[in-house]
Amino acid sequence: MNWEFIIKYLPLYQRAAILTVKIGVIGIVFAVLVGLVCAAVQYYKIPVARQITAVYIELSRNTPLLVQLFFLYYGFPKIGVRLSAEVCGVVGLAFLGGSYMAEAFRSGLEAVDDVQKESAFSLGLNSRQILGYVILPQALSTSVPALVANIIFLLKETSVFSAISLMDLMFTAKDLIGLYYKTTESLFLLVVFYLLILLPVSIVGTLLERRLRYAGFGD
Amino acid sequence: MKNLKKFLTLGLTAALTLALTACGQSAATSSAEGSQAAASSQASEAAEASAAEDTNAIYRTLDEIKESGTINIGVFSDKNPFGYVDENGEYQGYDVYFANRLAKNLGVEANFVSTEAANRIEYLQTGKVDVILANFTVTEERAQEVDFALPYMNVALGVVSRNDKVIDSLDNWNPDDSIIVISGTTAETYLTSNYPDIPLQKFDSYATAKEAFQNGTSVAWANDNTEVIAFSLQNEGYTVGIPSLGSADTIAPAVSKGNTTLLDWINEEIKTLGQENFFHADYEATLLDTYGSEYEDSLVVEGGETK
Repeated sequence: MNWEFIIKYLPLYQRAAILTVKIGVIGIVFAVLVGLVCAAVQYYKIPVARQITAVYIELSRNTPLLVQLFFLYYGFPKIGVRLSAEVCGVVGLAFLGGSYMAEAFRSGLEAVDDVQKESAFSLGLNSRQILGYVILPQALSTSVPALVANIIFLLKETSVFSAISLMDLMFTAKDLIGLYYKTTESLFLLVVFYLLILLPVSIVGTLLERRLRYAGFGD
Repeated sequence: MKNLKKFLTLGLTAALTLALTACGQSAATSSAEGSQAAASSQASEAAEASAAEDTNAIYRTLDEIKESGTINIGVFSDKNPFGYVDENGEYQGYDVYFANRLAKNLGVEANFVSTEAANRIEYLQTGKVDVILANFTVTEERAQEVDFALPYMNVALGVVSRNDKVIDSLDNWNPDDSIIVISGTTAETYLTSNYPDIPLQKFDSYATAKEAFQNGTSVAWANDNTEVIAFSLQNEGYTVGIPSLGSADTIAPAVSKGNTTLLDWINEEIKTLGQENFFHADYEATLLDTYGSEYEDSLVVEGGETK
């Protein structure tokens, strides 16, 4: 192990990690928003919009992120839409993540028993109160484990960004191997940096899940 | 209990990290502990191959290749006209023409393995291929990692740009513009060390770099001059503003470090083939359509002798 090499190229990995986290976080925020909207559409069975979201969810869940990125980055310029690599990364993550998030929220919403709504209604709560005080708290806490899993999944998916020339962690490692042939050191740094990003998310997720278990009904 | 679990998780991840990184260096020793499932596939593959020798180098000798009946040759699959897959799914090009002849003279089948620029050295070091014939430019740094045979082509770097904004110099570079390079090529190394201020847009394959350049991602594309000249001849609207950049280099076959039996045999082959002007025939069969006869004498190296 050549420590001099590791110290010399640490800043490069830092920059790549910041890019990975930045695009990852923005992409995930948009994915959550898309997911919420889609789940709401499905839950309230809004006509037409419901069919559209169903098509979107199937399309997005059954195509790889790499294919979606190629479409955005290499295909769209052919029809005159030129997006920067960063924007493509964010859009790609949001597109892929949106469907997974939608399914997570939907499963949470569907897990709330009808008897809960009926009881709340008979207690005199209006529909907004039922949503805010009865349905959402239970639905969200049910979907947290799936949400955390999705966030980790999406952060790991960023490793295919090298295909659209984004200098993320994976590409930085591959590039350094190509430039200086220091395979061991480059891969070591790669694993360490991915762990640095993902372990905290995983640990916070576990703590959050444990805390939210109190919100469940009847446990 | 909770803390114990946490420590266990951390300890396991640390062990996995070490196992993953260690297998590159000491493949033979890591085969003993079989507990790390994720690392084991890579490690055991390496351990198997190196069992025959005591060294870290993993390669097959000339006799072993002959015995197995196939030689694994790393070539490009997307670098027309040097190494590419044609419409019938067959490997074609200047490098492939030479590779087929090598296999024929050795009396074995040629098994082509598609490589990308950045993993050519790794493919040799991990024993995935016996020879790299993927337009591999000879450099000092690379020669420390692999063994190069005699050269069979001349090369320098070149920069291609659009006709409406021809770039003929890299001095006074506008920092808002970027140059496309392919990760792991000599163009990348050269620009990184000589023009560190020019922003590089890096791609991992020829196909994607070409696509991005045509989409207008960057103002210029730097690569082997053979490649950028071919690009400007094959595509309307592009000019090679800088036809020769950096030092004049050669392209040669590469084998794993220390694989002398194979290396010596290839060198002998190149010398013998020189007597029948093989590489001129190769040029005329594969490159003439792209370059015309204009570049034949400047590109071809016959019998391993550079002028």
